[in-house]
Amino acid sequence: MKQEQPTFFKALVSAIQMLYTIAPMLLAVIGMVGLFQTFITPEMLHSLFKGSTLYDTFVGTITGGISVGQPFLSYIIGGELLEEGISLYAVTSFILSFVSLGLIQLPLEYSLFGIRFTIVRNLLSFLFAILVSWATVITLEILS
Amino acid sequence: MGYSNYFRDTILINKNKNKGKKTQQRTGLIMLIIVIGIYIFSAILNLTATYNALLNSFQVLKVITPILLVVIFLMALLNSLINQKKISKHLGHNSGVKGWFIALVSGVLSHGPGYVWYPMLSELRSHGARDGLIVAFFYARAIKLPWLPMMISYFGLAFTSILTLYILLAALVQGIITDKLLAEKG
Repeated sequence: MKQEQPTFFKALVSAIQMLYTIAPMLLAVIGMVGLFQTFITPEMLHSLFKGSTLYDTFVGTITGGISVGQPFLSYIIGGELLEEGISLYAVTSFILSFVSLGLIQLPLEYSLFGIRFTIVRNLLSFLFAILVSWATVITLEILS
Repeated sequence: MGYSNYFRDTILINKNKNKGKKTQQRTGLIMLIIVIGIYIFSAILNLTATYNALLNSFQVLKVITPILLVVIFLMALLNSLINQKKISKHLGHNSGVKGWFIALVSGVLSHGPGYVWYPMLSELRSHGARDGLIVAFFYARAIKLPWLPMMISYFGLAFTSILTLYILLAALVQGIITDKLLAEKG
């Protein structure tokens, strides 16, 4: 039996209903963003780096994943970290996980995509933040 | 007989959908209550900082509202113009190179926080878009076109170009791995 194509109005009503369904979770995520922006300061993030490349790359990925805000904030913090002598590996993984990982949006992701998808996507993002940062810096060193 | 089976299946699917929506809303409400609780607890400890956090949240809401409206409009447009067969053809299991291309380009071009795009992507997924392409879309979003000039000014053109290329490559590889890992989900 052929499936009926909804009209634009019906599809719009359905999309608004979906927004209504996820609204409490969306508001919760936005509330968390405000809390993280206020209570997790750049100084706090700086203090976690120790100067060891391997350790700092790991820390960079985690801190990038829990940080929130516009992408340019990660460039500013990354630039400051570089000036303080933190390795480019760690700074790159921080910048990358800042935009590709999101601890606070995990509940929303889980509720819409399910547990398996959420775990696979976030684990891959975490792993690739480290791999891409190493590949980028090594390529840069070879080319220069 | 065929029709009675069809209607029985349709009723069952709709029942499951409604149940899923109710569970989603309940989980969301629990999460919202927890966040409100954190705000109350935080206000007791530090009222000024909590007020700033609330202001930051309103600022985020102000920024994402127009993007959210665009997403709602796009969802309605997609659902009314493109049927399930077309979505499966362009983003499903046999979408090939075209599917990867659509996922990567739309990921790079999409604006705003990732969670704003969740409803539309989950809708596409329920219509047959495969998981690998959604993962590729998400990772390609790490390339922020409007912020590239600023990234170049901080880290240089060579670094930005290499990182951008590797992000695209990583998005593709992650999509392929996801398809392999989640293939048996049915």
